[in-house]
Amino acid sequence: MEKKLLMPKLRPEMEKAVLCAWLKEVGDEIKSGEPVYEIETDKVVTQVESSYDGVLKSKLYEEGDTVDVLLPVALVEEKQEAV
Amino acid sequence: MIYIDTGSCDVYYNFGCEHYFADKKTFDDTVFLFWRTSPTIMVGKYQNVAEEINIPYVKEHNINIVRRMSGGGTIYTDMGGWQFTFIDKNTENVIEFRRYISPVIDALASFGIKAEFNGRNDLCINGKKISGNAQYRLGNSIIHHGSLLFNTDIESMVNATTVDSYKIISKSIKSIRDRVANISEYTVDSKGQSIDIQPEDFKEAMVSSILSGAKRSEVYDITHEDDVCIKALADSKFNNWESIYGSNPRFNIERSARFEGGKIVFKLDVIHGKIESASVYGDFFSILDAADITAALKGCAYSREAVYDAFVRNGMKDAIYKISIEDIAEMIAD
Repeated sequence: MEKKLLMPKLRPEMEKAVLCAWLKEVGDEIKSGEPVYEIETDKVVTQVESSYDGVLKSKLYEEGDTVDVLLPVALVEEKQEAV
Repeated sequence: MIYIDTGSCDVYYNFGCEHYFADKKTFDDTVFLFWRTSPTIMVGKYQNVAEEINIPYVKEHNINIVRRMSGGGTIYTDMGGWQFTFIDKNTENVIEFRRYISPVIDALASFGIKAEFNGRNDLCINGKKISGNAQYRLGNSIIHHGSLLFNTDIESMVNATTVDSYKIISKSIKSIRDRVANISEYTVDSKGQSIDIQPEDFKEAMVSSILSGAKRSEVYDITHEDDVCIKALADSKFNNWESIYGSNPRFNIERSARFEGGKIVFKLDVIHGKIESASVYGDFFSILDAADITAALKGCAYSREAVYDAFVRNGMKDAIYKISIEDIAEMIAD
């Protein structure tokens, strides 16, 4: 199932951040808690982690793009648990 | 709070300390460092050295270049200024500046200085910036660091950060120019009289004031084992070409010059500090095609020395009429 990774809102005044670097490539396996991209806002550099186990399906922005908070940045195809 | 005196003015070692105490040897309590550097230019993590630094000036004056792991713009530091670092365990993904800057404001008040926050997490006196602050996360730690302009050589700061306006296109984080001032211009005694304070005395008073504001404080001495690890981190994470230039965000630059042999224009696409592709135009005469000239540059580091070596390797000496490869290397990169 497709899941979205968002641009986080790290403080009340934060409106946007720069997507500085992708730490994973499309097709890479991702574990929950693993960093997927790095952002910079208000002179703070922080890594954004995946909340899902799965595969990075697509990158919605390029490095250097400014993204509004809470917009999707990446799509992850979540790994289905065997029933 | 745990105070650690790094005992070093080497910026690479001091950033190695931050890294070490944030990621390798962690404490439950806040770690506090107060340090200074020999003349150094610090660029933000996602800045482009070519856009931020006057490379010829920096080379001529043996000024260190380092890339911070934190965000924000370029600053100049020297033995007249101080840096402070707070390292905390932090698993919440929330930005918080005041808890680290407030103790610094309180400590400055003991010198009769009324410093205020501006909107960009800087500290100002009368609207002039005296401290810039930035943060990064490493593992489960948050690292907050800031600069304090105490008696910094402002002229060198301006010279080292004044860059010729070549045509550069990039998505890098740009520095914002602020009016700056040195704290030493504002120090007064209890009667409001101006007083002269040495940088070392300023450090002692700041450290003691910040530690006294903590619930409890202790001093940790760097061991030989720590020192070995810190030096290794300084070399691998900060003091190398890859960290400084190889981490530049992608940029396009156009450089041109007129020589006796004609006008020559280069357009370069530089990725992670290396020339990915190039094109050349002009009214010069050459025994080589433009494609041969630009092919020599592909994969070459974007520096004057590397460009010159690439031209020599590709047998381009005297290939262009009345334009030497020294001239071209000099025009392409600083």
